[in-house]
Amino acid sequence: MVSQNEMIPVRIKFSKTGNLMYISHLDLARTMQRIIVRSGIDIWYSEGFNPQPKIVFAVPLPVGVESKCEYMDIRINSYMSNDEIAKRISDNFPEEMKLISVYTPDKKFKNIAYIDYTISLVSPKITSETANSILELFKGECIITKKTKSGEKEVNISDHVKKLEADFDGEKITLHAILSADSEKYLNPEHFIEGIRQNIGILNSNTTDEYYTILRNNMLMENLEIFE
Amino acid sequence: MQKNISTILKSVSKPGRYTGGEYGQIVKDKSKIKARVAFCFPDTYEIGMSNLGGKILYGALNEMKDVWCERVYAPWPDMEEKMRESNIPLFALESKDDVKDFDIVAFSMQYELCYTTTVNMIDLAGLPIYARDRDENAPILLGGGPCAYNAEPIADFFDIFSIGEGEEALPELLSLYIKMKDDGTYNKKDFLREASHLKGFYVPSLYDVEYNESGTIKSFEPKYPDVPKRVVKRVVEDLNTSYFPTKPVMPYIETVHDRIMLETFRGCIRGCRFCQAGMVFRPVREKSAEVLNRQAQEIYKNTGYNEISLTSLSISDYSCLHEATDMLLDWTNEKKINLSLPSLRADSFTKELMQKVSSVRSSGLTFAPEAGTQRLRDAINKNLYEKDLLNAVRLAFEGGKSLVKLYFMNGLPTETYEDIEGIGALAKTVVDEYYNTPNRPRKPFTVTVSVSCFVPKPHTPFQWEPQDSLESLRHKQMFLAEKITDKKIHYNWHEATVSRLEAVFSKGDRRLSRAIALAQSKGMKFDAWDEYFDYHKWMEVFEECGIDPDFYANRTIGYDEILPWDVIDIGVSKEFMIRENKKAHESKTTPNCKEQCSGCGANKLGKELTWCPKMK
Repeated sequence: MVSQNEMIPVRIKFSKTGNLMYISHLDLARTMQRIIVRSGIDIWYSEGFNPQPKIVFAVPLPVGVESKCEYMDIRINSYMSNDEIAKRISDNFPEEMKLISVYTPDKKFKNIAYIDYTISLVSPKITSETANSILELFKGECIITKKTKSGEKEVNISDHVKKLEADFDGEKITLHAILSADSEKYLNPEHFIEGIRQNIGILNSNTTDEYYTILRNNMLMENLEIFE
Repeated sequence: MQKNISTILKSVSKPGRYTGGEYGQIVKDKSKIKARVAFCFPDTYEIGMSNLGGKILYGALNEMKDVWCERVYAPWPDMEEKMRESNIPLFALESKDDVKDFDIVAFSMQYELCYTTTVNMIDLAGLPIYARDRDENAPILLGGGPCAYNAEPIADFFDIFSIGEGEEALPELLSLYIKMKDDGTYNKKDFLREASHLKGFYVPSLYDVEYNESGTIKSFEPKYPDVPKRVVKRVVEDLNTSYFPTKPVMPYIETVHDRIMLETFRGCIRGCRFCQAGMVFRPVREKSAEVLNRQAQEIYKNTGYNEISLTSLSISDYSCLHEATDMLLDWTNEKKINLSLPSLRADSFTKELMQKVSSVRSSGLTFAPEAGTQRLRDAINKNLYEKDLLNAVRLAFEGGKSLVKLYFMNGLPTETYEDIEGIGALAKTVVDEYYNTPNRPRKPFTVTVSVSCFVPKPHTPFQWEPQDSLESLRHKQMFLAEKITDKKIHYNWHEATVSRLEAVFSKGDRRLSRAIALAQSKGMKFDAWDEYFDYHKWMEVFEECGIDPDFYANRTIGYDEILPWDVIDIGVSKEFMIRENKKAHESKTTPNCKEQCSGCGANKLGKELTWCPKMK
């Protein structure tokens, strides 16, 4: 019996864009297990009643959000080069899923403090003033009502917005937002949108002429350096 | 188009149903394709993706170089609403192209309660629902699946039906289509006429049906001499060499059967008199253990699934079961793959078998005695004895199982209240057996008794039988509830109104199409789903159409009457059906096909690879 510590850790970075944003985290986890199994990678299985290939993901991605920076960690029982792992996984990915890199990790997922997003807002109600109103909104208090297990709760989400920029190109607003991602203060980008919806009065419908898109660009550490 | 779909997906439940793009999906270059097939399943993605027949046909059609077959499932009402709002017609998952622009639109119909959903999908595609209203440019609508054995209630919506097993028949139909397109002879009318000459295809518009004043059928005749009087179902002769998909599409979202499904054999030796599958899939044809094992290894490599399910109508009757499970366990254990054997018969349940199957996860076992007394079990030809059941549950208890499920039916022909009491009594003996098993598991113990309502099905010895009335079925359900007093027995029963509607459509004729069309226009769909089934509304629809549901569901039919499904020849003779029906009323059993051939007639379909010739 080999102990868990003797396993070789491997980090896999991939993107989840396009229609893949509609695949939930749970479904992604199951899909990844099967990808690794059919890749023939000698992955370490959890022990116990119902052994499963053990995969650990960095901050789970909400449904409807695209990402260029998803990470998962596995442990393998016997050595295989990162290039070989990359090739095998890539061959077994569904078409829209893209492998970015495979490497031996030197940082832990708990070092992730922020996530950097690009958010686009499209609405007929957007005017040249809207971008400024959004920036102003998050300079002060932005309270939203959050549903939790123990009922509804009012939260000031401005505290979790580290940095925010807004551009208006005459049609849509593009926001660059750095939001909190550590487990204590994690801000779901959907809640950030909720703040805009409740206070700015746009995005109340979801139609072909009023919608928004959210893209994760990078995960960041406390010092705002890119996490790898 | 893509953009529009993507936007509406943000506001619907389970968007993963509509994205396509799964690993294993087949995408082809449209410019090299001569015929495009939209393979539609009139239920949700999760259910449709679990259907083995669908996987086989998707693969078999895509094996053809100039054919591209794509998948379509019924959008859930929230998605349908968004689609209709945004003028997005029904689209195929792979290309997102409109279904109405395909060459062939095929529907796989597994149960009668999918008819409104089927018609709704035709409507959502932007096509006229009646075949006669669709012009030359509209696709050919092809129906198939078990419902095609009596396609009459939906005959007016379809151009053609595939009868029986489709993996060899459908490519033949597509070849004819492509040939006629290529040589410029194609028009819909001529194509359908030609197709009626292929084996296993039924073109309903080529038949005239006349009715007697009493409502029964007076005549059912082909319009032209070259159109076959009866359409013989198709069977695949050799399961070892026939196509079987080894690289299925891998769903992202969880489906009902999200595992490797390996077909072991077709047909059933048993001949239970209520069972349509047991009749229409005759004769029995098996796959060898070697082929099965090879397919299992290939599918595992292509999917990464961690469970293998051996499918059949009655797995313990598979003559290579021990050989096959040994070969599989040889490598599946090491790879942490579970093996499951659904449809186990209680009389062949052994300790060895139980230890082989995935015992780790489930703590329960299911058996289907179907009836509560030996007399009624004999009448339905179940050929199962109480001692076999008790033996099986004892083995299960000794093996650590503590949850037993028993399936029964109410309203079977010849049933009396004594038989219903027998259900409670049989369940009680199972409870006693548990407490009499010294090394029983000390886990929560229950016996679940699940009672459905008998639905007389076409092409069975019970096809002439009436369904019990709604009042009688309900009375019997309550009667049994009073008889079951043991707290260890959990009793549940099926809603009788659902079974009644099933009976109407199972034995229905062409006149029912207007009821289905009216129901669809009133927004009815997903009848198999509790939240959408509305019996009251259905009764209103029948009344509005002047249709008497009793005529279809609750009438005893004479042996000499022309049946709506007589046009379909499943290979089993009417004489055999009549013999079996008479024996049921005398509570006499018929031996299974392995013991003795009873001369049903299906042996002529299977050639030398069936069980049948060995019995000669």
